[in-house]
Amino acid sequence: MVDNVGGSSSNAENSGIREQDRLLPIANVGRIMKQILPPNAKISKESKETMQECVSEFISFVTSEASEKCRKERRKTVNGDDICWALGSLGFDDYAEPLRRYLQRYRELEVDRGNSPPKRE
Amino acid sequence: MEDSIGGSSSNDNNIIKEQDRLLPIANVGRLMKQILPQNAKISKEAKETMQECVSEFISFVTSEASEKCRKERRKTVNGDDICWALATLGFDDYAEPMRRKSRTKIQEASTNQNDLC
Repeated sequence: MVDNVGGSSSNAENSGIREQDRLLPIANVGRIMKQILPPNAKISKESKETMQECVSEFISFVTSEASEKCRKERRKTVNGDDICWALGSLGFDDYAEPLRRYLQRYRELEVDRGNSPPKRE
Repeated sequence: MEDSIGGSSSNDNNIIKEQDRLLPIANVGRLMKQILPQNAKISKEAKETMQECVSEFISFVTSEASEKCRKERRKTVNGDDICWALATLGFDDYAEPMRRKSRTKIQEASTNQNDLC
């Protein structure tokens, strides 16, 4: 993994990306962290910022792998299966399986709502 | 990992609103878009899958950092705890760059502080 955390982008490499486009909102990140901690615990600003950077890198890492799969298969649209595949491929097997089940439920709900499930290209 | 993605919360009994449990889909999509080639597209389903995944990732790492603080009888989770949790959970590739970034930020902050004095 490259050392410039959160910045391994194809569109973004040379253009200076604004901080708010490169990172997810710190308030939301902090809120999710807070839900995990005991009620009396505190989170330093530094730890939220560290997590912010980390999440950006995680998204970049997984998306990059999914994108590569789509490129090889000559598809233009990244779908949920590609994300699950990328997670498995990168060693996040514990994530991939529950997410596949989540996707299955998601698609069933979409059909129930009368929306056609996403097309496979 | 449990099957209830993103839901391993200590405040389990309160029903958590969707917007508190997940990061904004527009921001997640924007980050993903930066990685893809110009002509590529991202399905809504892919963004929502990533949303779930990121929430679980944050929960997973925070939980480990929280446990360390509990054992050491500390109330505040700091950047080093996050880096330690990342390394412990096998995200070693993340931990080291994060430590360096954290150190740089601290140095910058203290430099700015000195400039003010």
